[in-house]
Amino acid sequence: MASDSATGEETAPGGRYNFNTVAAVVFIVLAAALFFIIPGQIDTPLINLGGAGQSNLEAETFPQIIAVAFFLLGIWYLFVSFRLRQRNQLRDLNLEAITNVLVTLVIMTAYVGLIIFLGFVVGSFIMVFVMSTYFGNRNFILGFVVALAVPTLVFVLFTKPLVTSLPPFPIDEVIPNSWVIYPPLKYLSNKSIF
Amino acid sequence: MFESFLGGFAILFNPETVVMTFVLMSAGLFLGMFVGALPGFTTLMALAILLPISFFIHPLLGIPFLLGVYKGGIYGGSIPAILVSMPGTGAAVATTFDGPALTKKGEARKALEMALFASVFGDLSSDLITIALIGPIAAVALLLGPPELAAILMMALIVIAGTSSGVFVKGLLMLAVGLFLGMIGQDPIGALSRFSFGITEIEAGIPILPMLIGLFALPEIFVAIEKKATGIIDAANLKITGARLKWVEFKSCLRTIIRSTAIGTTIGMVPGVGQVVAAFMGYAAAKSASKTPEKFGQGELEGVAAAEAANNAVNGPTLVPLLTLGIPGDNLTVILVGAFIAHGLRPGPQLMEEQGPLVFAILIAMVLANILFIFIGYLCIPLFAKVVTIRKSILLPLTLVFAFAGTWVFRSNPYDLAILVIFGALGYLAKKLQFDVTPLAMGFILGAPLEYAFGQTVILSGGQIFSYVFVERPITGAIIVLTPFITYLMWRRSMRLRREFGAED
Repeated sequence: MASDSATGEETAPGGRYNFNTVAAVVFIVLAAALFFIIPGQIDTPLINLGGAGQSNLEAETFPQIIAVAFFLLGIWYLFVSFRLRQRNQLRDLNLEAITNVLVTLVIMTAYVGLIIFLGFVVGSFIMVFVMSTYFGNRNFILGFVVALAVPTLVFVLFTKPLVTSLPPFPIDEVIPNSWVIYPPLKYLSNKSIF
Repeated sequence: MFESFLGGFAILFNPETVVMTFVLMSAGLFLGMFVGALPGFTTLMALAILLPISFFIHPLLGIPFLLGVYKGGIYGGSIPAILVSMPGTGAAVATTFDGPALTKKGEARKALEMALFASVFGDLSSDLITIALIGPIAAVALLLGPPELAAILMMALIVIAGTSSGVFVKGLLMLAVGLFLGMIGQDPIGALSRFSFGITEIEAGIPILPMLIGLFALPEIFVAIEKKATGIIDAANLKITGARLKWVEFKSCLRTIIRSTAIGTTIGMVPGVGQVVAAFMGYAAAKSASKTPEKFGQGELEGVAAAEAANNAVNGPTLVPLLTLGIPGDNLTVILVGAFIAHGLRPGPQLMEEQGPLVFAILIAMVLANILFIFIGYLCIPLFAKVVTIRKSILLPLTLVFAFAGTWVFRSNPYDLAILVIFGALGYLAKKLQFDVTPLAMGFILGAPLEYAFGQTVILSGGQIFSYVFVERPITGAIIVLTPFITYLMWRRSMRLRREFGAED
């Protein structure tokens, strides 16, 4: 194995097809697609007033430059890829790792639905309890307490002192505003200082 | 500029907010040290998930909070590195050479205190140098017009993309992807809609917060869950034993600490290198300068001091290119850019002109944070030592709670959660295929100002862009001509450092 001064990576003697080659082809296709969708994906001004929109730089010029650069870089990458000997770390994942990553993706997707339909605290409680149990926590009392306490604290932090909104049900109704916001915390609000 | 500096004191010590600024900075330091002390949880992840908190409070409160997380996180990694030879962050890897050996000798307390004082010394000194440098550089940056700014932005993006990861072209490709993603929304000159693909939610562009949290926090979670709960460290092994650090011992390491601080400060100003390399370089320099190099690796207090002073000295100077030219030097400062942008403050020459006192107030707060750093670090070392024992199975879902809550509060839009998950999956895939997402984030953030400056240059040139740039704007022409050479030199240097010291966080 030799070190290539052009890439800085360990390189193979040459001509090897690998994941970098596939990635390079994907980039080339994406760059070509980007170039061709530019006309259909950029609005044209309805009227020509000769203002900023009519400057010498059209709205599609910069995207075209990027698309061409993207394409040329893809070609460069393709040539370089044959000599690269990087490890595709996706191949190092065993069944446990793949399962865990997929389960986490499913949990994340479900979590989106849970917080929209059940509210932030309840949705988070379910997610934290299920996920911590799946990933090996067998102290269910601790799991229960943490799953309830932390989302509640996060909810209070964001909605009261920081005056933002999270899907409320059912916690917002049971925390009176009067005792959550007290004078020192009001300084945290963007609107209350300067 | 000096007036802005004095104005910074006036803003920072506004009686209405000064207490809250310091409270939040302390909270940031505490959280940073907490996360830094957790093996497998990086400072980057902490910054990404805590970023939303800074969005909804005044920048004078929010940005020092994030700077506290940044400083605390880099130091926090040294605690498990010294006690159980598990670096909490990549920046603490060099600390494992001597830290655990000192623990075995019964000098854990001494090692932890040396790590703390060296970190604070490195951080404080580099912060002061940062303040001293920022004024003159900003004054020069103010003289730059759109053509020079466009050329500098282009050069910075190419240099950062080229030096960010192992393969030059892969960094550039990620930059191109970032530039494309940054074009989604409206063009910065004519405000015409581009690449929204009929999706209303992205007509104003991809929201920055879900993208940053997705790219930088979620992949760390995916990597951490590849294995289920690993063995928990016995709390009995985490007792902090031995005598306290003596002034004489600190004094004997002072020369090393100053050398490492100089190394870290220089590294901090070079884009794409970072704390890991600085720590290794500081350690190597201390070893080669030592009269007893054979003691390094056997539990030498100077080894801990060298690595810790160097990695913390990187923190301040990374803000120099960020605040003066708007160029973030690494992934941690990309997140800080997100915080600035959320407040309508775009880092760059104009920021220093328009908000000079505020910027100096933040920088002065950063310097004063080091005093809090000593107190919090000193008092909480025993607590952070126990943090290593916290179950990953509990912490990972809680990290998700923060990431999702922070994303939701940005616009209260369920689409943002989808964007978060998509960018999280993309970031994980990129990590596994050895693409660095930092150039992507930089392209996304700097694409619009680059296009705007480029557009203004085209207008100023009246259609004669080449003659305008190379005849009427010689500095711009020089930057363009020098870009390939500078990129090559920086890339070669970064490759050499990587080969010598490694650069994985």
